[in-house]
Amino acid sequence: MLRNVFLKTLRDQRRALLWWGIGLLAIALFTGLLYPSIRQMAPEYDKLLKTMPEALIKPFVGEFSDFASPEGYLNSSLFFLMLPLLFLVFAIGFGSNAIAGEEERGTMDLLLSNPLPRWRVVAEKFAALVVSTILLAFAFWLGLAICALAVELGVSLGRMAEATMSGALLGLAFGALALAVGCACGDRGLSLGVASAVAVAAYFLNSLAPVVEVLERYRRLSPLYYYIGADPLKNGLYLGHAAVLIGLTGLLLVVALLAFERRDLAV
Amino acid sequence: MNNTIIRTEGLTKFYGKQRGVLDINIEVRRGEVFGYLGPNGAGKTTTIRLLLDFIRPTRGRATIFDLNTRRTSREIRQRIGHLPGELALYENLTGAELLRYVGHLRRGMEWRFVEELAARLDCNLSQPICSLSHGNKQKIGLIQAFMHKPELLILDEPTLGLDPLMQQEFYRLIAEAKAEGRTVFLSSHILPEVERVCDRVGIIREGRLIAVETVAVLKARTLRQLEIHFATPVPREVFARLAGVRDVIVEHGVLRCTVIGTLDALIKVAAQFQVVNVISHEPSLEEIFLAYYAGGEGHAA
Repeated sequence: MLRNVFLKTLRDQRRALLWWGIGLLAIALFTGLLYPSIRQMAPEYDKLLKTMPEALIKPFVGEFSDFASPEGYLNSSLFFLMLPLLFLVFAIGFGSNAIAGEEERGTMDLLLSNPLPRWRVVAEKFAALVVSTILLAFAFWLGLAICALAVELGVSLGRMAEATMSGALLGLAFGALALAVGCACGDRGLSLGVASAVAVAAYFLNSLAPVVEVLERYRRLSPLYYYIGADPLKNGLYLGHAAVLIGLTGLLLVVALLAFERRDLAV
Repeated sequence: MNNTIIRTEGLTKFYGKQRGVLDINIEVRRGEVFGYLGPNGAGKTTTIRLLLDFIRPTRGRATIFDLNTRRTSREIRQRIGHLPGELALYENLTGAELLRYVGHLRRGMEWRFVEELAARLDCNLSQPICSLSHGNKQKIGLIQAFMHKPELLILDEPTLGLDPLMQQEFYRLIAEAKAEGRTVFLSSHILPEVERVCDRVGIIREGRLIAVETVAVLKARTLRQLEIHFATPVPREVFARLAGVRDVIVEHGVLRCTVIGTLDALIKVAAQFQVVNVISHEPSLEEIFLAYYAGGEGHAA
């Protein structure tokens, strides 16, 4: 596991990945297992939701009015807030740690004493981020799949995989943002802060847009829109939206590669 | 074959308006041990990080093996061994794991040589690095710099934290590298160390290279504070008129003075009296700088 920067990065993350994987699997599994009892109480839930002001509730459960349907339930309880939140926290932490964290700990000088081009360090660490995120997405999907064996969810495994994949792509875009900021300035805290702030703003832009008229036309500026706007759990992954997230990630990766090549390493 | 291994031309680095190093011109020749001497904060690490392309010069340029350090850094790093200053290692690995990792990144090292180095430096490779003392971490840093037998070693404060026995072993490693025709560039803030292992010395102070001398010349110019205790009172004049002896004070049979270069003349005169004790103070770097300024040579540009 110490053959190159890519494997070393994964090796350093192995415990974190294990616990994150267990956590994601458990959240997916237990949330899914609650569905049958929720469905029985669905009429009351719907009534309760209708008594609450729209503006207060929509930003956190989305527009999925049909709480009793499996898609509505899984969307509002998992895919609207929980899944993106967890993927963003993981990927942003990973991205800011990758380059700026290594500089902060002082090990970048040792690493680059070796005959490695700088771009290669960035590229291998990014590849480790991609693999880690996909592993976590698989764990989450596995939780849902196990759940589907026990209770009638009424959503195909394929659709679950597509919605989870959409979340992974969102995570990668923000991981790439954190990586790019870290590559540009070498400051882990700043990278963490900037990427988190943008993520929170993007989340609220996407979720408030349906209820706040002035925000409606800016909704497409939010990466969250491309994650869930087309309801991938119901309709499958919309390739146009996935392409936007992948394109954004690619753009930020290029920024990261160029920025790190150009600047002085932090002491 | 070109015999200049490292050449810097007007190498200058500013951090914003803050000085890093200013107009550094150095030539390090093939097979020599070059010492880069200066107090902490003088710009030694800045110069080394410029050579490795970790930071980029504000002005000037540098070549190593006749290759530009900006454009061909990877090729250069393939052929050198580097010990970073203020060394930080991967704390979660063991020494052996870290060295294998670095070995893979370098695509080549002999594990048997690593074990030999570890044995000579008395370094336990199976312990997690986070549990090692500063000196033991430094040893792992040294092993990773030496293990692929590079043509050029660039070592930033290599003996920092090593106990005296290990320092001797390190000096032997330097001597062996030199005997094999390899080149060494090492920074230090300790004059006796530089005098001991280096052929030539560049002296840096406040970002400027104030002199480049052979060790022999450096020793000849060294200022030394000397104190000689006599059994009986001695006359001041016999000492005061000696060449190279300054600031002579005689009180109650105790002579205090500053000597430039060799002590020979002073000792021979002192021997005519009954000497009780001789106390010599190793000159500090500041005193060496004073010698250069007092001597009227090597003024900062």
